[in-house]
Amino acid sequence: MKKKRLEQLTMGVLLLGMIIGGFIGMHIAGVTVDFGIAAAIVGTPLLVFLVIFLLNAWRRNRLGTIPEADERTALILKRYFLGVLYFVLFGSGAALLVLYAMGIQAIETGMLLVFMMILYLVIGIGTLIAAKL
Amino acid sequence: MNVVNHIREIRLKNGITQVKMAQDLKITRQTVNAIEKNKYNPSLELALKLIRYFNVPIEELFHLEGDDE
Repeated sequence: MKKKRLEQLTMGVLLLGMIIGGFIGMHIAGVTVDFGIAAAIVGTPLLVFLVIFLLNAWRRNRLGTIPEADERTALILKRYFLGVLYFVLFGSGAALLVLYAMGIQAIETGMLLVFMMILYLVIGIGTLIAAKL
Repeated sequence: MNVVNHIREIRLKNGITQVKMAQDLKITRQTVNAIEKNKYNPSLELALKLIRYFNVPIEELFHLEGDDE
């Protein structure tokens, strides 16, 4: 029961953080927050959490009390992240060398942000796939 | 040396499904399948749980490949 309560508290804090972060982001970007934008900032995280909740409920109905992860999942994820570590480490190094060889002298921070965003996305999707193997 | 198990045969003999076994042992169905196909060797903890679950001696459940049964 205590674990369940902690889960609910974590979800609440995450939700609140996402909403506050959304408003701070809009403020930094200098966007005037009208009703539509405010509704989107509050509504999107709520919608995402609702979808996650409904998916979990559907899964519970379908599979009963089978856990989502076990010792084998942990082992697979450990191996996956070990692979990711080397991929990112040597891949980024190789990419830098290639760019330098191509004559590129500087990288914009904006480009680095895009690179990191794509990297996180790919790693995230890979984690989901690895966890389901 | 590879470890071979007879979990599938013993499970079917007892009329237990993979889903039921996964629920009872708190593991995923994929893990049950991987163990039965000898693609994954369970941890000592899970091996001991399997022995208790099927109520059979360890040598009936697991043996080394090439060893006489």
